[in-house]
Amino acid sequence: MQSLRVISRLLGAQPLAGAQCRAVKRWVSPTMRVIVLRKKALGPQPEQRRSQFLEWNEEVELRCFSKRLGEEFEGKALREAFVQPEWANVQEFQARQAGDTAFEPVAHNRELAENGAQIISQTIRGAYAPSYPSDVVEGIHSHLTSQEMLAHVGKHLGIKDLIKSLEYPPEERSLADTFRALVGALALSSPPERVQRFVEDFLLCQMVGKDVYDIWAPAQPYEYMLRLLQAKGVEQVEPRLCNQSASNTILANFQVGLYDAKSKTCLGLGWGENIKTAKETAALDAIQRLHASD
Amino acid sequence: MSNSHLFLKPAFITTPGQNGVGRYVCQLQRVVLKFCMSHGSSRGVREFIETRLLEFVKESPEVAVYLKPRRHKSPIIKAEYLNGETQWVNARQFTDDEVLKWLNLLKSQSSNRSGVRLRKLMHTDFPSIQGPWTPYLFRDPQLNLARFPSEELSRPLHGTKTATQQLFEIFEKQKAAQNANSS
Repeated sequence: MQSLRVISRLLGAQPLAGAQCRAVKRWVSPTMRVIVLRKKALGPQPEQRRSQFLEWNEEVELRCFSKRLGEEFEGKALREAFVQPEWANVQEFQARQAGDTAFEPVAHNRELAENGAQIISQTIRGAYAPSYPSDVVEGIHSHLTSQEMLAHVGKHLGIKDLIKSLEYPPEERSLADTFRALVGALALSSPPERVQRFVEDFLLCQMVGKDVYDIWAPAQPYEYMLRLLQAKGVEQVEPRLCNQSASNTILANFQVGLYDAKSKTCLGLGWGENIKTAKETAALDAIQRLHASD
Repeated sequence: MSNSHLFLKPAFITTPGQNGVGRYVCQLQRVVLKFCMSHGSSRGVREFIETRLLEFVKESPEVAVYLKPRRHKSPIIKAEYLNGETQWVNARQFTDDEVLKWLNLLKSQSSNRSGVRLRKLMHTDFPSIQGPWTPYLFRDPQLNLARFPSEELSRPLHGTKTATQQLFEIFEKQKAAQNANSS
């Protein structure tokens, strides 16, 4: 009842506040019904761009954005970082079609993104290279610089509504590019240490709570381990079946230990539902121990 | 949990995108205050705008605040979060104090928390730092060399003595005592 009254007020059925209205006008219900039917006939509508809303001020949004990150951007660089090349091209094309000679091409973020990608790679490699071998560092690098990860980080900084791209909501590719461009834009207006700090605070912290060896694993762990061991001077490895339980059942469980054939020391222990898996898990364990001892 | 919480969506405490590990990012990105310039129900919101809004904006420069006057409708606070969620608060008949309190709540939230019940006030992704249990944990290493079937291992671990065994023991004791006496 209350909501119907509100609706009737919305539609102007009632004069201004203060006047008594004790009934819902008889036209309200059929009108609402028709509106609902028409909406249904139109089908699902595309999501509206936030920047097309009445309450949108790009100046304010950009200022709030830089305050949110706690960084100062040089005015133009930040604006440029949000412009996708395709959008800039279409803008230029439309101006040419309309015969606008005074149109100045819009600067887009391709160069900034390339520059930013370089800085991101350097920072990640610089952070992990001292404590991990290069294979692992590359694994972490590709995990952190994947399109999905960069888009995730960017989205949680609120770049989704600010991006100027042809599609809306912006694709992962646009989000990732914009995040890279942001780093590039920051490099133009801040000293390198600050840019590095930015990447550490927003991108490297995504590794918190994750195990490096969950992210990186060689395709053939046993062979990989043998190669590592050969470099260390261990020639022969002796895999032993340490334990087994419930074999020949669906819950079969094997434990394999890898031992140095000469010194009889344990290199790694692993479990698995069959001996082959257990051996590979043991090899992964051995790789971790070898990396830790380096 | 009481009956009034039965239909709330259960949830754990979460942090979007590791917020606060590197630096803290306020998750409220935008607030729209919709109000009427003349109606009584918007009085508190109007007062808030006249007296305290500038202070709020200065304190929280990372939140974009928009004002949207519209005629003869209830005032609404519309909050937009970084994760894309939107929350509407009906600010009808609110005082300016209440508006400020709600804005501060929205600012300190990470998403729309209405209709959500926290299952616990703490949460961890790693409940055990010791790792999973395996059948081989604390297993006697002697068992590695055992051959089955083994009579030794087939016996019950903590069996009580049978009456026959007890009689045998008494008999053995008596025999030992007799031997000691005779010698």
